[in-house]
Amino acid sequence: MSFQEKNITVSLSIFVAILGFYLIRVFQMVQHESFNSTNLFRLWGIIAVLAVIGTILATIFTHIVGGIVHKVRTNEDPHIEDIQDERDKMIDLKGTRVAYTLSSIGVALSMLTFVFGQPPLVMFSLLIFFGVLAQVVADIWRLTLYRRGF
Amino acid sequence: MGKGRIGNNIRKLRFFRNEMTQQQLAEKVGVTRQTIIAMEQDKYSPSLELAFRIARVFEVPLEEVFSYQPEAEST
Repeated sequence: MSFQEKNITVSLSIFVAILGFYLIRVFQMVQHESFNSTNLFRLWGIIAVLAVIGTILATIFTHIVGGIVHKVRTNEDPHIEDIQDERDKMIDLKGTRVAYTLSSIGVALSMLTFVFGQPPLVMFSLLIFFGVLAQVVADIWRLTLYRRGF
Repeated sequence: MGKGRIGNNIRKLRFFRNEMTQQQLAEKVGVTRQTIIAMEQDKYSPSLELAFRIARVFEVPLEEVFSYQPEAEST
């Protein structure tokens, strides 16, 4: 598994965890009848902070821990291919395109909730759901392209 | 218009260059070893620029490294 693949795998794991945390918190709010704007926007903030920290942690984890594991297993100095060549950039672009497409669909679907008479809170909670989901699907697509080729 | 298949002789050419390693070729053309592996397994078609750089490393014309088969012939 290349450095880029490891990086995407760690990022994917973190965003799946964030998505799970978000869904659990939203369901808890609905169950406890505390689904209001204050709680939802606080959750938005937590998700944003988690996403930033998660991305930074993913890079650190892949670099440092990956290097240590490589050294222990093979007794060779780690050769980290952290440059992005044309194939990596192409895969990254294809993943980003998937993320944008899914985000756009998500925004449209979120807006549709107004048509069905749902309160704005539903739209806002769906917006961030589709944002994180788009990141997860994009990472899965990137991994698929690394494995399958294109 | 359908997509054709781009094949290559990189593995063979490396063999005839004193078993040049994938890492050595990757460093000469400025990509990662993973990209060389993907090309050898026909999982990635390089850009025109990279294709020329690879041909230059092996000192052969482009056609000796890469071949193109249109969809009808490749199926």
